[in-house]
Amino acid sequence: MNNKFMQKFIEIAGRIGAQRHLVAIRDGFVAIMPLIIVGSLAVLINNFPPFGSFNLVSILNGIFGEGNWQEVGGSIWNGTFAVLGLLIAFSIAYNLAKSYDVDGLAAGLLSAAAYIMLVPVTEDWGLNFAWLGAQGLFVAIILSLIITELFRVLVRSKFTIKMPEGVPEGVAKSFKALIPSILILILVGLFQALMNVFAEMSIFEVIFNAIQKPLQGLSNTLPAAIIIAFLNHLLWFFGLHGTNILGSVIEPIYLPLIEKNADLFASGVSAFDVPYIVTKPFLDSYVYMGGSGTTIALIIAIFIVVRNEQKHPYREVAKLSAPAGLFNINEPVIFGLPIVLNPVMLIPFILIPVTLTIISYFAISTGLVPKTVAILPWTTPPILSGYLVTGGSWRGIALQIFNIALAVIMYIPFVMAGVRTLKQKMGGL
Amino acid sequence: MKILLVCSAGMSTSMLVKKMRAAADEKNLVAEIEAVPESQLKNSLEGLDIVLIGPQVRYLEKKIREQVEPKGIKVDVIDSIAYGMIQGDKVLNQAIELLNK
Repeated sequence: MNNKFMQKFIEIAGRIGAQRHLVAIRDGFVAIMPLIIVGSLAVLINNFPPFGSFNLVSILNGIFGEGNWQEVGGSIWNGTFAVLGLLIAFSIAYNLAKSYDVDGLAAGLLSAAAYIMLVPVTEDWGLNFAWLGAQGLFVAIILSLIITELFRVLVRSKFTIKMPEGVPEGVAKSFKALIPSILILILVGLFQALMNVFAEMSIFEVIFNAIQKPLQGLSNTLPAAIIIAFLNHLLWFFGLHGTNILGSVIEPIYLPLIEKNADLFASGVSAFDVPYIVTKPFLDSYVYMGGSGTTIALIIAIFIVVRNEQKHPYREVAKLSAPAGLFNINEPVIFGLPIVLNPVMLIPFILIPVTLTIISYFAISTGLVPKTVAILPWTTPPILSGYLVTGGSWRGIALQIFNIALAVIMYIPFVMAGVRTLKQKMGGL
Repeated sequence: MKILLVCSAGMSTSMLVKKMRAAADEKNLVAEIEAVPESQLKNSLEGLDIVLIGPQVRYLEKKIREQVEPKGIKVDVIDSIAYGMIQGDKVLNQAIELLNK
């Protein structure tokens, strides 16, 4: 492998992976993920399909009274997924401010306040839920970055009120943030007024139509899914955390898609009829099984190929990696086998996930398998994840089993080649 | 001796941490070893001697060095094979060598 090219590649990937604003965006999404998963599970439980005569939803409704049980899940949804934009406005600003070592809480609150200022108000003076959630995500991201940058500059300038020694730190902090907050909120207010007068629509509609909608349309296509799968595995091949580096770009674009699916599913639309095929849970459950590279299949392939030599190094790695692999953690196999910079493994490690992406896409687009309607923790084991992401359909499991079987078959010749290379090396010593 | 292992979510390194603790016990070494996600590193610098970076996030090396080396904390990227094979003793030795350098 060309060393200079590799260094350059790692350097560029590193710069993206460590870029302050992108990191703040990514960590902002990571921070709200528990809420998102709870919201998603709430919807799932509300709409869980009956097992034969056992119908969880109707039993619970029998206990709590018709519809009352669903209200629990519904209100959880309202506080989590439905206000995604608001949550993100806070969490990105918080993380970015922290990275500058300025008051994260103040910046986060300020950003949330500014976000609410811009949200269109309904006729009976309520906040418009449509823009508090996923549709407002891009406004939330842009706003939180701008607000925090302004806040940082102002807080470090001389436009702050300094308290004398002896004043409690909390009080001093809130006074320090006072003048920057006033200036920033006035700016946001002026901006809102100008938008009302000249554009006669909210900034939310402008950004949604100009940026978010076209990007989402693009991202729900097969080529986009292939590019993501390809890049992720290329990065991992160089030993870099692909999902992590791409996260800041993927999350904002793909979270609204799964939100839409889950929201429609909650309102009674079947998982076959929700709009989006390519989502992050789509990749997590049908492609990244056992971790990036569908390594659960690689581990199985090793157990098949090296079944007679108990002490074979490949087998040792597979044994070591299997328990964590069930939960989609695969660093042991990636670095232990290794896959990283191993020319024998380059082809299957990239080819298999891309193949599975294509197969899964067509399995869904032809209506064989329902679409994804839930976000799960990425550590949810395969099979279970296939059942849950499809809103409780055995077809999700069937696609996972098919994909794993195919991946095992594709991995086997490369494992054999790897074993042979290893033997030659050992023999040469 | 206080050692922190940094990776993206603190999950994969936590397996290694367990093995390293066992290796430290075997050597009768008093060592505090933890795994943290990168974003929490700055909250855990108190009394820290060594930061070991998971190879999958080695692109953060420069950033982490700039952050902690001025405080006299030693930094290194974990040897990737030892990391993959979860060899706690090897990684512990790497840490000890780093400290004695």
